[in-house]
Amino acid sequence: MSRTVVSAEGVEKIVQTSAGQLVILDGIDLEINEGESVAIVGASGSGKTTLLGILAGLDTASSGTVKLLDANLTELDEEARALTRGQHVGFVFQSFQLLASLTALENVMLPVELRGDTLAQSQAQELLEKVGLADRLDHYPRQLSGGEQQRVAIARAFASDPTVLFADEPTGNLDTQTGERICQLLFDLNQEFGTTLIMVTHDLQLAARCSRTIAISGGQIVPSEQATASAL
Amino acid sequence: MNIKLVARMAWRDVRSGEMGLLLVALLVAVGTVTSISLFVDRLQSALLEESSNFLAADRQISSSRAIPEDFIVQAQQRGLNTAQTLVFPSMVFAGDLNQLVSVKAVDETYPLRGELIVGSEPFQRGAPTDAVPAPGTIWLDSRLFPAMNVALGDSLEVGMAELTIAKVLVAEPDRGGSFFDLGPRLLMNLQDVAATEVVQPGSRLSYRLLLSGDETELESLREALPLKPNFSWISVRESSPRIGRALDRAESFLLLGGLLGVLLAGIAVGLSAHRYAQRHFDHVGVLKTLGATPAQILRGFMSLLLLVGAIAIVMGLLAGSLLHIVIVQLLASLIAVELPMPTVRPFLLGGATGLICALAFAMPAFVHLKNVEPMRVIRRDLGVAPLSRWLSYGAAAAGSLLLLVWYTKDLWLTLWTLLSIVSICVIFGALAWALLKGGRVAGMQAKSGWRLALAGLQRRRMENTAQILIFGVAIMLLLVLVLIRTALIDEWRSQVPEDAANHFVMNIAEDEVEGVRALVRDQATEGEFLFPMIRGRVSQVNDSSAKQWQETVGRQGGGPRLTSERSLTWSVLPPENNAIIAGAWWSADSTAAEVSLEQEYAEDFGLQLGDRLEFDVGGRRVWSTVTSIRSLEWESMTPNFYIILSPGALSDFPATYMTSFFLEPSEKVFLNTLLRKYPTITVIEIDALIAQVQKIVAQVSQAVELVLALVLLSGALVLIASIQASRDTRMAEHGLIRALGGTRALIGGSLTAEFLVLGAFAGVVAVFGAELVVAMLQLQVFELQAEAHPWIWLLGPTAGALIITVVGLAGSRSLIDTPPMNVLRGL
Repeated sequence: MSRTVVSAEGVEKIVQTSAGQLVILDGIDLEINEGESVAIVGASGSGKTTLLGILAGLDTASSGTVKLLDANLTELDEEARALTRGQHVGFVFQSFQLLASLTALENVMLPVELRGDTLAQSQAQELLEKVGLADRLDHYPRQLSGGEQQRVAIARAFASDPTVLFADEPTGNLDTQTGERICQLLFDLNQEFGTTLIMVTHDLQLAARCSRTIAISGGQIVPSEQATASAL
Repeated sequence: MNIKLVARMAWRDVRSGEMGLLLVALLVAVGTVTSISLFVDRLQSALLEESSNFLAADRQISSSRAIPEDFIVQAQQRGLNTAQTLVFPSMVFAGDLNQLVSVKAVDETYPLRGELIVGSEPFQRGAPTDAVPAPGTIWLDSRLFPAMNVALGDSLEVGMAELTIAKVLVAEPDRGGSFFDLGPRLLMNLQDVAATEVVQPGSRLSYRLLLSGDETELESLREALPLKPNFSWISVRESSPRIGRALDRAESFLLLGGLLGVLLAGIAVGLSAHRYAQRHFDHVGVLKTLGATPAQILRGFMSLLLLVGAIAIVMGLLAGSLLHIVIVQLLASLIAVELPMPTVRPFLLGGATGLICALAFAMPAFVHLKNVEPMRVIRRDLGVAPLSRWLSYGAAAAGSLLLLVWYTKDLWLTLWTLLSIVSICVIFGALAWALLKGGRVAGMQAKSGWRLALAGLQRRRMENTAQILIFGVAIMLLLVLVLIRTALIDEWRSQVPEDAANHFVMNIAEDEVEGVRALVRDQATEGEFLFPMIRGRVSQVNDSSAKQWQETVGRQGGGPRLTSERSLTWSVLPPENNAIIAGAWWSADSTAAEVSLEQEYAEDFGLQLGDRLEFDVGGRRVWSTVTSIRSLEWESMTPNFYIILSPGALSDFPATYMTSFFLEPSEKVFLNTLLRKYPTITVIEIDALIAQVQKIVAQVSQAVELVLALVLLSGALVLIASIQASRDTRMAEHGLIRALGGTRALIGGSLTAEFLVLGAFAGVVAVFGAELVVAMLQLQVFELQAEAHPWIWLLGPTAGALIITVVGLAGSRSLIDTPPMNVLRGL
């Protein structure tokens, strides 16, 4: 039986606003196993991005327990959560989030360098070749198209050989064709690296390619038809 | 993060311009401080050296008794140079002619500072010489040649000795200063003094031991010598208060200039660091998602800051040194004195300034980066918790205090300046906030450009209040410097105006007054006063004899005595530069016998308003009542009297008169005409002294102007940094407005309006602040009269609006020119 990679139990996220308390997540329970690909879907404001952030250890829950592999994220401080992310987690974002002052190659090398590993350059080069950017190594993000930037971001996400890959609307900023190609690349690499994929998306076709869909509405997990209907 | 990664990030940030402004701001801070302190350091040494010429030495020991041999031995043991002089009045004879002269006998090593100028013809420009009169010879003032009807090679009788006239004495370094070193100069060799036999018990003698050499050795000698009351130790500041005060004030000003330069550069560093940090929030967010821990982020960015700081320090020290060399070259023709080599202090100061600026002003923004939430990467709407105010202002205040106290070595100057700035920020922060709020109401009725601008100002009220304060403080600091500089230079110049009387004439008999004045009017520029002078002394105070009074009430010891004979005068009006501090001056038609005393004189002898004094004037007695106490400006180049009586008290007494005139150096021969016609009058020449004072004032003024220019540069940098700091927010807003159909003209108009308002508000803040700070500085530090400057009230806001608008629009050109798509894609 495959092990649980990410789990949430009774997760709540409440923020204080000038209009009073706002409940963003309301009692989320879930388990995601190794090798699974999971799509989190829901309407805007449903809380899906917040959930992704909490599961990845980018944000903290107001209450409840979140576990990433053996680490109980709710008990860790930012310093320890960062170390856990560095060791086990990769990210792909809607707005690519490449560092503008670094070249494509340097962006990909960054997570490995942050871990203090030395083989960064050859690994990074190899990954960029895999995503079809062997001739773009020394280009800066502003010299690349949106699709190319997202490919660099994907290469960077796999550079640290993560156990879990979190993707936030990875095709949201791309046209359909490019989005499709990026999507294919993501799933191919996911397969190759045996990574667990957790993805937030609006794109139902993209969600359908995942092994499982978790639907969120009003901060709670709902049957996926309901979430799909409200998303549309 | 490892050091290689840090270095790479730093290099990329510098290359991409992200770190540019911070680097430039740090570089300017280091460069400004280094060049100012290098120049000030060298100029101060030079000015002190120049001023030492007034003493012909670094220090003097003066006494009416012979200088003990032990003093000389002790000085020489410390490696100090020594010289001895003896000054006394004496009658000299040549045939039937005689004249009272002031004899100065010197040894071979005289002078230790400055130089003797001699010539071979009277009333000609001379040339410097290293020699002194050889034994058996004398050098004479030009004026003595016609007065005694002698020529070079003739002899003069000085006491029992007959000495040969070898040269014309044109100038001697330590001539100026005393009004009572009367008569033309005769310079002779100290070895000949015994032969003259003029040194007898009761002679009026002034012995001086001149000393020069290492400053610490001089101080050590001062501490080692047990000086009795009739020996006094004289340094430049004590011997010539005029020069001493000018130097003190100039030093304070230069330091103030440096201080403001540092503050401005510090603000620029803080602003650019803040902007750098803000532009790196996303960057840090991404690094955190990739596993960078807060500690790694902190270490990485701190190393980056230190690396950039180190680059800025090295470049700043180089730039400062080069700038200072350029300045010295530029001013070479104006700075007459040779500049000594700089000490290491300016370089230490420059380096420390860079380091402290980086740590105190930039560090808080860099530390803040570690607090960026990684969640920001997927939720851009998440702000970043504001930087702790305590940390940021506390560090800046502590850094400023440390730097400024070290830099100025003057805690009060620093505290006054900082306290003023803090109070102004609090008061005007509240005012700016209120004004911006009011601006919104006005803006609702305005045209679109203005409405947009005022809405923007109101929406970012917090940032704009801060920006107004920063602009305001920057302009204020510059205004403070301009106002203080103007006040100082005016004050110096007014003390010694170009055509200040440079000759005094005394002992004019009553029947000679009109003749002398007519001659003076004809050939020179007559001074503004004519004082009667009557020799007299206080014989009785109330019911006690003056002697008893001094023993019971007045000062004891070796100081001046109440019973000493003094020059008295009478006057209908109080002299210029005299301020009545107690009582009242007599009315013009008063016939009562009244007396006005100088403040310190009255204090020394315990005299008060209402006391009755009896004066003994050549055996005649006159009683007067003290009706006023005056304070004097001892620095003014006009005669000052301790005791002035009303016309009712003294006008019946026979008097001699004193007046003054201005004479061009080329027309000095007029003195002979004057003295030949009126042989009994005495002329005191202070032209050499005035020329020296004017030269020093001119040099100090140049240094002051230079410092002002450097600080202006720092000010400009602050403005640019501040505008840059708010550029991103404006860029985003204006990109959106253009996308929604706003024209370039609308954006341009809105930006102009926004900068005009910010600049005008900042101008108001600056004017209020400058008046307050200048008044405090004038009263507390420079001891000048405080005064308002109505001309800056219009100038401040107008200049503020114009400068900020011009610099702001220049810095925001890309906001108007960048296609909206590019702006929006960058959001």
